[in-house]
Order: sequence, then structure tokens, then C-alpha cells
Amino acid sequence: MTSSALTSPGQRNLLSEKVAEIDWRLSVLLCIIAGLGAMILYSAAGNSWGPWADKQLIRFGLCLALMLFLSLVDLRVWFQLAYPTYAVGLLLLVAVMLVGHHSLGAKRWLQLGPVQIQPSEIMKIGMTLSLARFYHGISAREARFSWKLIVPLALIGAPTLLVAKQPDLGTALLLVFTGGAIMFLAGLTWRILVAGAILVGVGIVPFITVVMKGYQRDRILTFLHPEQDPSGAGYHILQSKIALGSGGLLGKGFGLGTQSQLNFLPEKHTDFIFATFAEEFGLVGCFGLLMLYAIIIGIALRIASISHSHFGRLSAAGVTFTFAFYVLINAAMVMGLTPIVGVPMPLMSYGGTVMLTVMIGFGLVQSIRVHRYEEMPSGRGVLF
Amino acid sequence: MEPSIFFDEVNERQGVFHRRTFLLGGFAGVGALALVGRLADLQLVEGPRYSLLSASNQFNFRIVPPPRGRILDRNGVEIASNRPDFRVLMRRDETKDVNASLDKISQLLPITDDKRRQLTREIANAPKSTPVFIANGLSWDEFSRVNVRTPELPGISAEMGEARFYPFGGAFSHVIGYVSKVSAEELDAVQASGSKPDPLMLHPGFRIGKQGVEKSLDLQLRGKPGGQKVEVDSGGRVVRLNSDGDIRATPGQDVMLTLDADIQNRALEVFGNESGAAVMMDCRSGDVLCLVSAPSFDANQFVGGAPSAYYHALASYDHKPLLNKALAGLYHPGSTFKTMVTLAALKNGFDPKRTYTCNKAWPFGNHVFNCDKRHGTLDMHGAISESCDVYFFQTAITLGPDKIAEMARNFGLGQVFDIGIPGQKAGIVPDTAWKKRYFKNNPLNQKWFAGETPSMGIGQGATVINALQNCTMVSRIANGKKAVSPRLIHSVGGVIQAPTEPLDLGIDPEHLAFLHAAMTSVANDPNGSAQADAKLGLGSIKMAGKTGTAQDHTYKGGHGAHGAQGAWDLRDNAWFICYAPVDDPRYAMAVLVEHGGFGAQAAVPRAREIMKVALLKDPEVRARIETPLPDIHAKPPPMPDAASASSGIDVSAPDPMPVPVDPMAPQ
Repeated sequence: MTSSALTSPGQRNLLSEKVAEIDWRLSVLLCIIAGLGAMILYSAAGNSWGPWADKQLIRFGLCLALMLFLSLVDLRVWFQLAYPTYAVGLLLLVAVMLVGHHSLGAKRWLQLGPVQIQPSEIMKIGMTLSLARFYHGISAREARFSWKLIVPLALIGAPTLLVAKQPDLGTALLLVFTGGAIMFLAGLTWRILVAGAILVGVGIVPFITVVMKGYQRDRILTFLHPEQDPSGAGYHILQSKIALGSGGLLGKGFGLGTQSQLNFLPEKHTDFIFATFAEEFGLVGCFGLLMLYAIIIGIALRIASISHSHFGRLSAAGVTFTFAFYVLINAAMVMGLTPIVGVPMPLMSYGGTVMLTVMIGFGLVQSIRVHRYEEMPSGRGVLF
Repeated sequence: MEPSIFFDEVNERQGVFHRRTFLLGGFAGVGALALVGRLADLQLVEGPRYSLLSASNQFNFRIVPPPRGRILDRNGVEIASNRPDFRVLMRRDETKDVNASLDKISQLLPITDDKRRQLTREIANAPKSTPVFIANGLSWDEFSRVNVRTPELPGISAEMGEARFYPFGGAFSHVIGYVSKVSAEELDAVQASGSKPDPLMLHPGFRIGKQGVEKSLDLQLRGKPGGQKVEVDSGGRVVRLNSDGDIRATPGQDVMLTLDADIQNRALEVFGNESGAAVMMDCRSGDVLCLVSAPSFDANQFVGGAPSAYYHALASYDHKPLLNKALAGLYHPGSTFKTMVTLAALKNGFDPKRTYTCNKAWPFGNHVFNCDKRHGTLDMHGAISESCDVYFFQTAITLGPDKIAEMARNFGLGQVFDIGIPGQKAGIVPDTAWKKRYFKNNPLNQKWFAGETPSMGIGQGATVINALQNCTMVSRIANGKKAVSPRLIHSVGGVIQAPTEPLDLGIDPEHLAFLHAAMTSVANDPNGSAQADAKLGLGSIKMAGKTGTAQDHTYKGGHGAHGAQGAWDLRDNAWFICYAPVDDPRYAMAVLVEHGGFGAQAAVPRAREIMKVALLKDPEVRARIETPLPDIHAKPPPMPDAASASSGIDVSAPDPMPVPVDPMAPQ
């Protein structure tokens, strides 16, 4: 115990003390999952490091370094950056609307010199931080039900609408789930929850018929009747189920997945990487993989619950549930339980953007663990 | 710092958070469990079904065409076989840009603009998974030129397959037919019959029998296709071959015919540029030894799809090379029909010693019938031998048409025989009943007119037959006991096609002996109509026969005259029916030379040449020919000479070196 620990219990000012507080189990588990992901990418490329596995590993290395760095960033810095991050994210989303880069019929990217930015990813962090920041400053009673809840609704609604307009249904869905989860965890009254659930139930039909784009509607219809059009829109789901089902108990073996190797499985290295994994490692492998994810989620929620600050609790839980939603939605989609919404399997699917977001999120979680005894300034006076 | 939130508030926020995190975490856990349940359902319960689906994604079977069965002659000589064929194929599902590939390939192979257009059409119409032939029948040079470049030509492959080959070119074309590409009509016909088309029929290398044996025994010759198991990716491209899963093709069955290639080839040869038909049968069994229609065509040209110029040349030639004249060509039998009149007359008590006097012209009713020449007074033997029409005009009148027709039918005229190939025409052997049938809409013509009988007596009038029938007739005459029927298919896949047991002919042997003697006289006596060219020169082996010179057009208005007069297509048809040896009939033949003029001049020498091949191939006949010949070059009998011959060899051989005896060697 250092003297600082005596005067301010739990305070860790030395770098070595901070590093020692990083949750190494969590870090190792993240590395294991990313390693499994690279392995599957190696197999999907026909047992070759290129073009995916090598890049993905380099990316993960960089993201891991970033996560470790962010773990050491004082929680108060996160706290201070919450609203600015949100503001930047919102501005960028508007910018995407106006000058965004088209890709596959959707405006998602913003080209800034050599860097491609996907503002919706910044928003996932920004919104989580902002909601936590907001709830940090209000009382339990206000969080239950008060006029102040207009603020979180607006914080969730604005980016969700902008992202849905791009259109990026998967991300919009995640933003709603994450925001909803934080509102729920902050103590939203059950009456509103029930009313909201009814509202969503009633609103889903006009949403599908009016707001959704043609291909999105197709995906929903295909989800309802996948066998109707096996070579068209139902092809993805059918081939994914064949890949999963033919894996059986123990799988076809590493590098031997025919559905992926022979390209029957579409998006085998991105959204459908779980099917690629399932084909080669079977039910046993899938169960193991889901267990790894569950352990990560459990550890992260544990970190959230030991945080002394409400901001830390809510932001850690927000990040963790976002991660959990990713896993659940992607797995359910691959198994044909939900429509195809373009949500990747975090840390496994090929792609840098989501990995970056997830690892920044875990950097935040680690930072909350490292700074779990830290008191946050009062919410009041900064914005409200 | 003034705490803005009281402890109980803070504790409440923390408590709510803990409870709800636990709740939401539990909810996620339930979701994860549901996913595991779904996984177990997919991977365990439905696993086998999805494994099958996965395998059917992964593997395809490429059709491997079976080798087509060969067609052999009676001695096992191949008359239809398969030869290696170098070809270039395009698989459309592996070719992104068809035009670019065609551009590249036309730098390697000569592809004309017409061919290019045809290929573009074929490629557009072909099912995606079936390859299209870009070129076949390539030389080794062309083949290897394409083969080394295939890596730059996606979807193009140079392969070796088998193509039908007819080693004798045209000699058998009318009998065995030919194979060619499956036509849309043939595919439709298979589908219309309710059965699924053989997948083989869609293969570009597959050829279907179009005529003759190739058509009638197509299914037996075809065989069963094999499958080459290939691993394909989602685009249908072959990733790997998997020889373990290959299904071997079942080769088609060999078909053996009763034909003899030597006789057949000689028969086509002797026709030269003439048109006609020659059919030879073994008169003991009915085996057809030769079935030729001349001129013929090269069936090999049709295998790759006949070039249209070649086809048009064949179709427009007045000698009708595409028509099988031996089966589908109907001609008046002319004087060869007198054999039937003779037997009918003898059967009905006609005295063969009876004589008629021929003054060349013979008036009957308001018409004058003509004979070749003034034959003078002849009995029946002489009338056959010299082929006097006047005698048979009057013989026929004593009989009437029905008795002649009955005899003719007994001998196979006017009949279609089951010889295993399509395309026979029955012809007409007229009688009073036939007239009623034939003119059923024309009552005035239903009556048998008296003037028709003399014409019928010399094989003219309504009487038309084909060469196979005429050969069957002479076979039955030569056999004398049995009504043998022609048999063409000897065996299919090694299974002998048993000939139908011939019925008894039921003709008085004396009558037959009379006819045999008369026909022998035709070919051998000084007055015989065929004697000039019918002598075989094979010692005691003699031929018997009957000539025929059948008028094909009316001579009125200057359109030709009897024999080889005037324009080719107005000349008479020349016949010769014959059998040999006369004392032991084995081979019977009918030769027709279309518009050849006189039978004796056009048909007899050709018949003789064909007959000689058959006789010389027959070891028993050969033995008869060879033994009586005095062998002037023969050496003295071998026995007394053997000793001197062997001693001579000894003398000429160098003396063996004397071997020194080693005294130390053990004895």
C-alpha cells in the first residue's frame, strides 16, 4: 500500500499499479477469440495467411495495444470526453448523409484523406459514454420516470435515425439495444418498458412496409420463408444452415469445411464466419466458442458491478451488452433465427472497424476496472 | 464538494443497477442457451440431412460417355468402330466472356465466320452445365497447340474422346446407317414418350443412330454412361477430381451382322459409277452376306454433322445415293419373275413340253406385245433359257393372275422381312383382290383387265419388288425345301439372334428340278440369255440364274427403246438373280443395275464377280475347285524325295569341327 492509497483508498497513481490492475484474464480471452478468428480466416482462404488472416492479426495487434493504452486512461478523461465524442460522432453522421461514400447502396463511410471513417462506430462509444454520463448526474427517481428522460431518448434517437437512414439496419438496431439496455439498467420504470415493448410490437409492421428499403424487406420475407427461393435471397440462410448442420457434433476438421472452401457459403469470412467455424468444429467447437464469449461478458459485467462510479457501471455495462448483442444477433442470424441484418461476430469477422470499436470498448471496460475506486465529479453543473 | 446525490439515492441506483444487470445478463444467458439448443438441433438432429446437402453442393457427376458398341461382319471384321478424337470443348459456366474466349481460340484453330456464328448460337442455347464442342477431329498439332494454352483460356479444355468410325467408308452405309448429333425432334420424342431423356443425350460428344443398324439397335449399342465424380465450387468450376467415386461407363454391346465384308466391298466395287443394288444370301440359312446399294456415301461425313455441301450433293444426285435401293427401291422384276410363272404353271398342270412360237410381235386384244427377238418355237425350258416373253405372255394367260401371285408370295415377293433394320418397302404383287383393294375409290379400275395378265407374266405391269425380295425368292428356289427368310443381325452383345425356323416350301421337287435345269441353262448353255458372262471359270462350280430387263418407262414418243437406249433415266433396269454352285446351292443373289439396260450385259458380269468372292471364300467350295486341277508345277511325291532333300542340307552345311577327345575327360 502506498501513501496515496491510505489517503485516497483505491487510488492508483503509479503506472505500474495501474498496469497491475488491468484484467489479464479478459485480455487473454480476447486474444484467444481473435486467434480463433484468424485461424478460421486462414482456413476460409484455402489454408492461406492471405488475404485475410495476416491482416486481421496485425489489426488485432494494433487494437490490443490501443486497448491496453486506453486501460490506463483516467476514467475522468473518459467522463470529460463523453459529450464531445457524441457531438463529433453526430456531426460526422450528418456529414455522411451529405458527402458520404457509397458502398453497396449505402452511405456509411466518410473518406478523410487516406482514412475511411465509419461515424456510426464512433457513435456506439459516444452514445454509451454520453448516456452513462447523463445518468451519472441524475437521481434514481429521475431515472425511473421524469421529463429528463427526454435527453436519453434524444441521445439514442438522433444517431439511430441517422444510421437507419444510411441505411445500416444492424448498427441502428445495436444502438437501440445498447441505449435501451443502459436506460433499463439505470432504472427505467417497468411501465415504460412494457409500453415501449407494445409500441415496438405495433410499430413494426408500418416500419417494415414504409421505412425499410426493398432489400431489407426481402431479407425479412426470406427469413420467414427461406426455402422458397433457395438460389436467390434465401441462398445465404440456406447455405449457412447447410454449413452449420453438416458440421455435426465434431465438425469436418480444420481447413476441411467444404461449404466455405468451395464458396457455397457467402460472406464466409465476414458476417458468416461463425458458420465457417461451426462447419469445421461442430457443436462442440461452437459450444466452446460461445462459452468463451459468455465468460468475457461475465468478466466485463463483474467489472461493471464493482465500479464505484455510476458512470463507470453504466458505461462498462453498456459496452458489454453491446458486445453481447453482437454475438447473440450474429449467431442467431447465422442459424436462421433472425433476418440477415449485417451484424458481424465481434473479434472473429474480418474487418477493422468493428474490431476497433470493440477493442476501444474493452479499453474503457479495463479502464473502469483500473479506476474502479475513482470518484467522478458530480454530473450536475457540467451539462445540467 | 457538496454531494448532490444522497447516499440512499446512490445506493438505490447501485442496487437497481445490480439487480437489472443480473436480470439482463441472465436474459442474455438464456438467449445463449437457446442458441446452443438451436445449434444442437441443426448439427445433431438435422445434421445428416445437411451433410447430404453439403455433399450434393460439393460433388457433381460429369457424364462419361460409354464407348459405343462395335458393329462386326460375320467374321469379326469391324465395320463400325470408334477412333480417338481430339476435340476442344467450352464449358459455359467456367467461361466469363464467351466472345473473348472464342477470339483467343480462333487464333489457334481455323474458325470461319459461319462456324463462329453457329458456335455462338449453340453456346447461348446449351444448358449451363453441359459443355459445347468448339472443334473436333483435330490433328495432333492443333490439339497440342490448344492444350498448352488452356491455362490462359478459362472454360476451354482440349480433351480426347471417341468418335464413331466406319473403316469401309461407304460400303455399309445403307445397312448400318450412321450416327450423328441428337436432334431437337429426337429429344422431344423421348420426352413425349413420357420417359426422362438419357442424360447422355445432352452430352455434346454423344451421337445417336440415325439409320440402319445404328438406329434400330441404338439402345444396345449405346451402353450406359459412367460418371466422373468431381468436386466443384459454388460457381460450378471443378476444383478436384475424385477418382474413388467414379462410376465406370458400361460399354455398348457389339453387334455382329451376317454380312461378309469382303463380299460387300466387292459388290460396291463392281457397281463402279452405276446405280443399283446387290443382295446375297446363304440360301441354306437365310444369312444375308451382302446388302449393297450403289452408289453409296461416306457415313463418316455424317458423324461430325455432314457438311451441307456434301449433303446437298448427295441429295441432288439423280443416282440417289441416300436411298437404300436394296430395301426401299421398288422395281419391276422383269423376266426374273418368269421363275414364279414357271412354278405356278407346273403346279397347275401346265405341260413344260408345250411349245409356243415367238414371232417377236404378239397381238393380244387391241394391243401388240413385243419380245426381244424372234425366238421361234420354244418349250418352257427354252423359253426360260432364252427369256422369251411371248411364251410367258401366253403361259400367264392360261394361269390368270391369282395363281401367279400366290406362288410369288410363297417365295417372298411383296413381303417385308424382319431383318432388324427399318426402311423396307413391300412392293406389289398384283392379283384380282389387290386391284379391288387398291382402286377402292375407283370402281371402273377394280376389274382385272385381260391385258394386264401378259404383262404380269413377264414381271411388268403393276408388279414391283425390291432386291431383297428377289434375293429371298432365288434363295428359296435354290434351297428348294425351306422357305428361308433373310437374317441380318447375327448376334447382339454375344447373344445369337436365332433365325426363325423356315417353313417348308411345299413345292414339288420335280418342278424345282425343272426350274433349276432351266436356270442352269440360262447361265451355261449356248442359247442361254446370260451365258456370255455368267461362266465363273471355277472348274466344276457352275452358276444358275435368270436375267431380267425391266422396262421402267413407256417407250412411246421416242423415249428410249429396249435395253440401254436413250437418256440414263429412261433406260431399262437390269436384273440378274442367280445361285451357285448349281449342284450344291449355297449362295443366292439378286443384282439390280438401275437403268443399266439389258440384264445380261449390265447385271450378269457384276453378279459373277460378287459370286466368285463368296465361292472362293467358302473352304468347301474351294476344296472342290482346287483338287481336280492338275498341278503342273508340283514337285515329285515327297516320300522318296525326302531323304535326298535332307541329305542335301547336310551336305551343304559346313562340316562340324572335329572335337578333340580329351583323354582325361570322364566318359
